[in-house]
Amino acid sequence: MRRYTALLLLLSLLFLCGCGQKKAAETVFAMDTVMELTVWGSDAGNHVKAAVERIRELEAALSVTRADSELARLNAGETVALSADTESLLERSLALREETGGAFDPMIYPLVKLWGFTTGEYRVPAETEIAEMLAKVRTGTVELEDGMAAAHGAELDFGAVAKGYAGAVLAREMKAAGVESALLQLGGNVQTVGLKPDSSRWRVGIRDPWGGEDSYLGVLEVGETAVVTSGGYQRYFEEAGTRYCHILDPATGYPASSGLASVTIVAEDGFLADGLSTALYVMGLDAAAEFWRSRDDFEAVLVTDNGRIYVTGGLRDCFACEEFQVIER
Amino acid sequence: MKTKYWLLLFGTLLLLGVVLTAVLFTGSGSTRAEIWSDGKLVKTVNLGIDQIFTVDAETGSNTIEVKDGAIRVMEADCPDHICMERGACSGGAPIVCLPNRLVIRFAGAAEPDASAG
Repeated sequence: MRRYTALLLLLSLLFLCGCGQKKAAETVFAMDTVMELTVWGSDAGNHVKAAVERIRELEAALSVTRADSELARLNAGETVALSADTESLLERSLALREETGGAFDPMIYPLVKLWGFTTGEYRVPAETEIAEMLAKVRTGTVELEDGMAAAHGAELDFGAVAKGYAGAVLAREMKAAGVESALLQLGGNVQTVGLKPDSSRWRVGIRDPWGGEDSYLGVLEVGETAVVTSGGYQRYFEEAGTRYCHILDPATGYPASSGLASVTIVAEDGFLADGLSTALYVMGLDAAAEFWRSRDDFEAVLVTDNGRIYVTGGLRDCFACEEFQVIER
Repeated sequence: MKTKYWLLLFGTLLLLGVVLTAVLFTGSGSTRAEIWSDGKLVKTVNLGIDQIFTVDAETGSNTIEVKDGAIRVMEADCPDHICMERGACSGGAPIVCLPNRLVIRFAGAAEPDASAG
């Protein structure tokens, strides 16, 4: 009889414990997008609250449109004492620019403005306008020493990396505070902390560049990582039958037309994932594959304009979709 | 006597556990949509049940329709109407109305945990 009692006790506990996992979630409107933060575990509510405050802080420092932000003052020609976040972002952005041979360039902001991508008042600039602006952008420099920065004839924009950086910062700080499971969706950027509360991997859908927002190209199963997609479909305008996408090729000053429709980067570091998704989109399939072979800190899903899907070797077993080719080392 | 008492207690607990689990599992099997307004979850709807409701916030108001397993923003007082243009959806990336701070998220067994892009 006692044995049955013990068995029943165990079974009841088993059934009941599944309902106990605490969860807190909040959506935040920041950095021109919508962010959804979900944290599981005890004290989840406080972790979410701290994350929201941190996002506001990052936004205040990094916004290129707020006149009083560190970045806006830097762009206006002031010598600015940078906060730790802005300094780190600037330093890393300039380094990534070197590493990607300029395919990622935080200094093309004047060109982005010229095309109207900052305001939504889109226009196709004249060739001479682009050539002039390109020449100006190339002569611009940024000085950074001991946390003091000054831009000389240069304007910076962290739009391509700010959300990825924010995700990385939030994940790091949550982990330091003891969070074991969290999902941060920062406007199309995904950052995970740990595994799902049931210890399975996260399933991240990758948007179909042609399917609208309702359909996925495939699903990635990932552990603790950042997943970031850049694609021409995300923001563009059309004029005289031509589509102009928001990702500019720093080499030409025109929208990138490398034959890729979208690039998804899976990397431990959110900043890197964000920056590389833009850089590899600009590079095109072959150069992107070569770049991947030269490094070991990320994996990628590349979709070409004609609908072919290429996946780097490290993702072959965690990507589920109808048909894809694997890029080998 | 004592054994019987314990047996009864844990028997009841077991039954409760089974029933709860069953209820929760059927709940997550069909697709649901979560309605978030200005950062807070205000409503969860089962896409299998047709309904029309309005979400009012300080930022503005959106009228939402659930019909034939899909959900859409029927009417909105936002300036751009991007939320309405999205049309009726039964899954995928969230439907967002940035001006009115409204987000409709899909949840259910078939939905991924997150979407990139």
